Amino acid sequence: MSSNCQPIPIEGIAYNQLKIEKKPIVPEYVPRDPVLVPKANRTVVVNPSRTCMPFGAMFAGLGMHRGLPFVQGAQGCTTYVRYTFCRIFQEPASIANASFHEDAAVFGGRKNFIEGMRNLIVRYHPDVVTVVTTCSSEIIGDDMVSFIKAARKRLIKELGEEEGNRPKLVLVNTPSFAGSHIVGYDRASRAFLETLAQDHSKPNNRINILPGMVMPGDLRELKHMLREMGVDAYILFDISDVFDTPLMPPQTLPYYPEGGTRVAEVEDMGNSIATFALCQNEGGLGARYLEQKFEIPAFIGPMPMGVKNTDLFLKRVSEVTGREIPKSLKDERGRLLDFMADTLHHTMMKRVAIFGDPDIATGITRFACELGMEPVAVMSGTKTKTFTADIEGIVGEFGFKPLILNGSDLFELEESLKTMPVDVIIGNSKGADIAKELQVPLVRAGLFVYDRVGYHKRPVIGYRGGERLLADLVNAIMDFSYPEERTQQL
Amino acid sequence: MLKKEYALDGFKRVPFIDPVRAVHGVLIDAAAPAVPACDQRTVPGVMSQRACAYYGARWFLAPLKQAIHLVHGPVSCAYYGETVRKKKYTVFSTDLSEKEVIFGGEAKLLQNLLEIGERFPDTKAILIYVTCAPGFTGDNVERACRNAEQATGIRCVPVNCPGFLGYHQATGHEIGAQVLLDHFIGRDDKAEAGSYDINILGEYDVMGDYKVIKALLGRMGINVVSALTADATVDNLARAHRVRLNVIHCRRTGGPMAEKMRQKYGIPHVKVSFFGVAQTSTALRQIGARLNLQEAAERVIAEEEAMVAADLERYRWELSGKRVGLFFGGSRIGSMQNCYRELGIEVLAAGSQFGGKDDYRDAWSTMKPGAALVDDTNEEEVLRFIRQYRPDVIAGGMREKWIAHKFGIPFTVFPQESGPYAGYFGFRNLARDILVALKAPVWQIVRGESETDAGSTS
Repeated sequence: MSSNCQPIPIEGIAYNQLKIEKKPIVPEYVPRDPVLVPKANRTVVVNPSRTCMPFGAMFAGLGMHRGLPFVQGAQGCTTYVRYTFCRIFQEPASIANASFHEDAAVFGGRKNFIEGMRNLIVRYHPDVVTVVTTCSSEIIGDDMVSFIKAARKRLIKELGEEEGNRPKLVLVNTPSFAGSHIVGYDRASRAFLETLAQDHSKPNNRINILPGMVMPGDLRELKHMLREMGVDAYILFDISDVFDTPLMPPQTLPYYPEGGTRVAEVEDMGNSIATFALCQNEGGLGARYLEQKFEIPAFIGPMPMGVKNTDLFLKRVSEVTGREIPKSLKDERGRLLDFMADTLHHTMMKRVAIFGDPDIATGITRFACELGMEPVAVMSGTKTKTFTADIEGIVGEFGFKPLILNGSDLFELEESLKTMPVDVIIGNSKGADIAKELQVPLVRAGLFVYDRVGYHKRPVIGYRGGERLLADLVNAIMDFSYPEERTQQL
Repeated sequence: MLKKEYALDGFKRVPFIDPVRAVHGVLIDAAAPAVPACDQRTVPGVMSQRACAYYGARWFLAPLKQAIHLVHGPVSCAYYGETVRKKKYTVFSTDLSEKEVIFGGEAKLLQNLLEIGERFPDTKAILIYVTCAPGFTGDNVERACRNAEQATGIRCVPVNCPGFLGYHQATGHEIGAQVLLDHFIGRDDKAEAGSYDINILGEYDVMGDYKVIKALLGRMGINVVSALTADATVDNLARAHRVRLNVIHCRRTGGPMAEKMRQKYGIPHVKVSFFGVAQTSTALRQIGARLNLQEAAERVIAEEEAMVAADLERYRWELSGKRVGLFFGGSRIGSMQNCYRELGIEVLAAGSQFGGKDDYRDAWSTMKPGAALVDDTNEEEVLRFIRQYRPDVIAGGMREKWIAHKFGIPFTVFPQESGPYAGYFGFRNLARDILVALKAPVWQIVRGESETDAGSTS
């Protein structure tokens, strides 16, 4: 009997050691010719990771109180975007459309615009309408400035001088072939400040914050930090109470969420003492505009994610406003540091791939490095001038050399990751397939998280956002590394 | 001035419809059959739920396998077109930039097609969706396709669907159907039709709908050659002209196609609906009658109806007397109403984004006098419908769901998220989903709060 005995398995081997090699799920997978994969060697885009300029402008337009975007284009330009907002936030997104048909394509969109603007304002009584152009209207050459004047004339004629002049019309030129949603948001921030912030006579001792395309949870965290410091701030495109609203019927018609930046607030932004653009590429244009026009100092980026970036943000705010950083925020910082120390054996030396919009990818890369993780590949869907240098600067401090993909697509990311295994991917929902294929966990963060709920309610910025992201990260790694051990002891 | 516009001047007008769109709605009156004005241009600025021709073409063609879907236009059309009916597909984009918009994108398109041929040589066809931007600039897509076909040997098929075409996404469905007819169906001349081979047109396998239908038909001994486009592949479409019968499920997308296939190949077609017990039984009987499988049909019907009868009785007990508003995309408005009536739910209003005259006639014949039938319902009308009628539940698309919730109204989503709705089994899912939405304790809590909240009135 003893001769037939099986060798006793040795207990205590980590699962990581047991994993010999990660193989693609499909057995017939043949690695592609490495020359054909990089985006630099081809013009075709496979599974893009960025969308169009009007998306950013509509995001901005919905961030205004009683604000509605009006899209000068075909119906799909609105429907797809509404659908995307609905999926991300599970909230209504009201966006009007000029309904281009063949006649508008041939004769121009003037009739549609004036009629549509009139219908919209008569029905919804908005405070501000963001006029968003599309590739159609830009190619056929709609003269939007004159259209807006004509629409205004029509409104005054129909509704009277006061009511007809009340809704502000802000034009954002967003031909979708000229840039991504990042650029659209950037342009919208500038367009709003250009159109509305004219006054520079009454200093208000406040700061402006252009948060970029962050989630309602992020904005709540931002407001929390500012409240703790006792700083008054205007937040331009404050979507926190637009895309995360309470269920409290009965509601009134027309339906508007309570939140959003008010027009009066934007008008007063020229009087502030400083402008903080949290994202370099989303809102930086607006901050620079205020700097040039009214000499309001602009602090552009980096996104306050992780320890060092949040420190920098709070320090700058403290310097500008003269307020001390309170003990409560220092405690939060300490709690994050404690959390990082307690979980370091799960995060240290883990290989991570990061993708998303350029600013959040930069922020996550910094935080991942602070956690001791090794970025293997960092991808930005939108090509920006500074992305490569930013990432190189961050990883250089920690001595890593990741593959940096500036303005690439998910195909290249996937194929690259097949040749260099990673332990975890951080990115948005577009990476779900890649994570499944590579059999690694995906930690969701960023703008386009639509296949899981609640991510828009939780922050990634600030110290508490760092705690949340770290918890997600460690839990994902633990779920994946020890799937059978139900009660993991830390 | 505004008040006057909203005043209702005659009881015949649908009470919640926008005054400028009065002709697009009718109140059902048994004495005077009427359908709302449909297939007309959208009124701009009223938050219509309609989408564009590209959306329709993607809706129709996205599940086509063995083919690469290349979207010729700015990258965003591809980005959004990636997700169709909540399923993710791989898309390719030519990513037109400012340079190509000014100087023409044909060269880039050709380059793209050659690159695809080099990188994905196994693919059997490439579909090139032409979106607004190249539609305006007038790229010669056909020439690029011809050149690429010669160079790579892969069939390149242009789908000419710029967003401004037509009034709604059904234009895109028609374009997609025409592309399949012209370039895919009937390429395999050697195929022989079995005696029980059929196609299903206008079925898209939402959460496994098609699997349920296929299983039902399979038990009758029927072989589905191709379901367009739930399981359409380049190979099975090539054989799709050798069948005995075309079964139309969605009329708006499948109807014109079936008619063209009848003219071209002499295939008869039958319009059925697999939603609801009664309709599924009728459908199986009709298909059985056409294929001489009456006995098999009766056997399957008897077995299945016996299986779901007890469950349905319970659901009917719970749901009977509830009131619903239905706001669908197109041809479901008629067939889905029968489902709701089967459960004893009263339909207060039905609206569709792009229904045709036939669809509205269908719906009209199933609705009770006094109910409203509206074409292209917009967001504001849905809200006013909620205010005026206070329905127990609303069924409709994803975009109205969240706003209905804000008004405290439960919602069931189409295309559904929880499981198949087709067939006997699926009908149980539908009934359960309605019950789930209605009975959720959250609505009780919300209502309780709003009653105690004395200050606010709607």
